[in-house]
Amino acid sequence: MSRTFVDMAGGRLSLSNLEKDLYPSYGFTKARILEYYRGIAPFLLPHLKDRALTLKRYPEGVEQDFFFEKRCPSHRPEWVKTAELPQDHGGPMTFCLVNDLETLIWVENLASLELHVPLARAGSPRTPDSMVFDLDPGEPANILDCARVALILRDLLSGMGLMSYVKTSGQKGLHVFVPLNRRETTFEDTKTFSKAVAEIMQKHYPDLVTAKMAKQERKAKIFINWSQNDASKTMICVYSLRAREKPFVSFPLEWGELEEPGGLGGPERLQVIHSEAVRRIKEKGDLFREVLVKEQKLPHL
Amino acid sequence: MAVQGMWSGTISFSLVAIPVRLVAAVKPGRVSFHLLHSKDYSRLSRKMFCPEEEAMVPPDEIIRGYEIMPDKYVLMTDEELESVSPERSRTIEILEFIDMKEVDPIYYDHPYYLVPSKGGEKAYQLLVEVMRRTNKAGLAKFVLAEREYLVAVTSRDGALELVTLHYSDEILPDDDLSPKKGTIEAADEDRMKKSIEQMMEDFDPGKYADGRRKKLMDILAAKASEKALVEAPVVEVEEGEGPADLVAALEESMRKVKESR
Repeated sequence: MSRTFVDMAGGRLSLSNLEKDLYPSYGFTKARILEYYRGIAPFLLPHLKDRALTLKRYPEGVEQDFFFEKRCPSHRPEWVKTAELPQDHGGPMTFCLVNDLETLIWVENLASLELHVPLARAGSPRTPDSMVFDLDPGEPANILDCARVALILRDLLSGMGLMSYVKTSGQKGLHVFVPLNRRETTFEDTKTFSKAVAEIMQKHYPDLVTAKMAKQERKAKIFINWSQNDASKTMICVYSLRAREKPFVSFPLEWGELEEPGGLGGPERLQVIHSEAVRRIKEKGDLFREVLVKEQKLPHL
Repeated sequence: MAVQGMWSGTISFSLVAIPVRLVAAVKPGRVSFHLLHSKDYSRLSRKMFCPEEEAMVPPDEIIRGYEIMPDKYVLMTDEELESVSPERSRTIEILEFIDMKEVDPIYYDHPYYLVPSKGGEKAYQLLVEVMRRTNKAGLAKFVLAEREYLVAVTSRDGALELVTLHYSDEILPDDDLSPKKGTIEAADEDRMKKSIEQMMEDFDPGKYADGRRKKLMDILAAKASEKALVEAPVVEVEEGEGPADLVAALEESMRKVKESR
């Protein structure tokens, strides 16, 4: 195994297999993955800060086996910050907190291409700071159908006095975030609210939307997965790479981009690839920053 | 008992204090399975059942009792339990140094390693080396996961090993197990000694492996690659109306959305 040493503020890091191509059919080496994350870090880190990371590691690349690692590896450098969080089953577990560039580079060196985090911070694991609608298309529906649903959802929420923000999942769907950032909000609140929203959407757009999880119900429809609003669930972090054929990023879009007519370029036109992500963020900054700070109260609960 | 890499603090005696982390030294090779429903592959969950009411018992109706005689219990609250838990501590304070040879292996419970944290490397190496040369072990008390353990810290292959020890009242007496002493015939003794000598080897744990585990893992690997996987169904949450106010407000908002489209 080849090793390269880098000195960082937090200490010396040994990086391994930098030349290994982890996206073989596209061509994207570990060195370039580290480069991507280093460049996007100033925008990504505020979204990862103090959230218990679930590592999704692809040591042999995106076409081979991956494994989830919730427990922060015991071989971690001692400067990696951690948090102990209670679990549904068994005792508390130690998670990594990616609060600085050193830790981000370290988890990427472990080939944790995808960064999954909960909707709550480790200090207040029962307080979601956003409510999320995970829009998942059942074939042959695609991301453009998701965009239609997302726009209706945006207007519906706006009628309730709630601002929402959208990002690509980096896979096939879209994620609509409603920032809350209030200490009083619980996962019970977000679950009750999002479930009611999903059911109203299903009722009014039965051919386009389902709120049911069963696979046979989801065919050719957009499944509004409201059940992600749970302390035990994680979402792909904004600006994380996804482990697909191409290094697409879970990236924020402007609502206007969803409104453009669907035909042009097909479903892939809404996907944001690593280089495009870097270009866009230089131009527009973090379109998701409001998600971190905007305070909103869920009405009628 | 405990999980890996779950404690950090300092190990200290007299004026020395060395920052360390505790990590697991062994990983039990047990293969564990989940229990599934054979009809639909749902992962089964455990629920508490009251045989008297013939009904499931919700968590807020479950309390603890210590059985002092058949069907007679002393109740114990969470607060009472908490009041006897030792305070969390960030130190392993060595109380005395002992000769490890004096410790009967029956006292050994669970082994861990102590690894140096930042800034502690030098003092750590010194302690490892001195303990190796003097062949001594530090005896300490140590709080982990709400229990206070008696532990022995020893030097081992350039690192510190920590072994939790059983308390003396946990060791069961063997008085009743050994048969009454009789006379031993010299010839019998010689014969047995000889056969033992013939079977003497150096201890090589690598020669032995858990055969059942190996076979199990082989079967699992083969089945997993054949894609003989079953999938748990998604559990559907019952479709109930949300709070009436909320539903009404959403209907109103939806009406406007549809109007403007």
